[in-house]
Amino acid sequence: MMKEIARQLRAPLTPPVSGSFDARVMSAVRRLPRHSRFKLWSRLTTPRTVTFTPLSWGLLAASVALFAVIGAARAFDDIQVATKPMVTALFPKTAAPKPPQRVQFVLVAPDAKKVAVVGDFNGWDVDHAGYQAKHRGGGVWSVTAPVPLGHHRYSFVVDDSVWVADPTAPRVVDNDFGVANSTIVVQEQK
Amino acid sequence: MTLGVRVAVGLVCLARAVFAQGDSRLSARLDKPTLDAVTAIVDSARISKLPTAPLIDKALEGAARGVDGQNIVMAVHQLSIRMGSAKRALASNATPDEIKAAASALDVGVSVRDLARLRAVAGKQPVTVPLAVLTDLVGQKVPIPTATDLVLQFARSGVKDSDLALFQRNVRSDVDQGADPTVAATTRARGLVARGGPPPKPSE
Repeated sequence: MMKEIARQLRAPLTPPVSGSFDARVMSAVRRLPRHSRFKLWSRLTTPRTVTFTPLSWGLLAASVALFAVIGAARAFDDIQVATKPMVTALFPKTAAPKPPQRVQFVLVAPDAKKVAVVGDFNGWDVDHAGYQAKHRGGGVWSVTAPVPLGHHRYSFVVDDSVWVADPTAPRVVDNDFGVANSTIVVQEQK
Repeated sequence: MTLGVRVAVGLVCLARAVFAQGDSRLSARLDKPTLDAVTAIVDSARISKLPTAPLIDKALEGAARGVDGQNIVMAVHQLSIRMGSAKRALASNATPDEIKAAASALDVGVSVRDLARLRAVAGKQPVTVPLAVLTDLVGQKVPIPTATDLVLQFARSGVKDSDLALFQRNVRSDVDQGADPTVAATTRARGLVARGGPPPKPSE
């Protein structure tokens, strides 16, 4: 008996004949619902035919192009920042950053307790330490602060709440926020 | 959704996550929805080769003034549109400062055509200060055609930026003392162009 069982086990497997009992059992087994993890694995590993419509190809190409353009722009910025010291060393005259100019801001505000200057040059930060005006007496407040070369918009902030445009500077009516700012164009001293 | 569409959506999401602009000043002062919207506008401007600093400054200004997020986004969006128009009018080699000043001029009602005229008259000379003076004159109620003609005249005569700044201060002083803005501007301009030098100071 044991010899017969051993012989059967050693015998090579033969595929079940179509319509046989084994074939029907295997067919029923394949129809059973699979475990979700097995389904995912099977989906990932089983070769299959994938079709692309022109729309999907277009979207795919557009997204790859977008990815590449934004990446290139960022990479260019990063490269510029990274190579700036080297460029400065190699071409000191052409690449040296131009230093900011010291600009005096003056406001007459006799009743003010605090006056600050805010603008493009300090991120519109009311609490920026370098742009707090000092009372010079007689209601005159002033601060001399560094401002980078270029066109800037700015304003005074009195007592942390009242925004006042510089009466002596060109003004720009801001239709976005409905208030006026002053403008200053800082140029290199010759 | 086909596989291609899924991959495309995935790549866009990935690009957004990887390349999201991380200006720490913005993230410190804007709420998340406003920050996302402003960042998208800034990224779009960068791709269009527009200066992005003015957009960030506009958002920071709005936050400092306590403006709500929706209006900040609208303001930044409007500024990006104006800068695009300004860049087209001033030619592609316009500096960021010129674009910024031209955007302010557009905001007060100066036309794109007038910007292009100023660029044509000024040639390679920078137009940042003339644009700032033009914007200021219009803000002082000088009619746009008059203000534009004056600034074009200055550009043709090669008036220096320092003289333009003094002209602007003199006109403002005259207006503060009760003068009609148009009369003050045209009178001061006549003197500036005739002498070919700076006008006298207001106190004189």
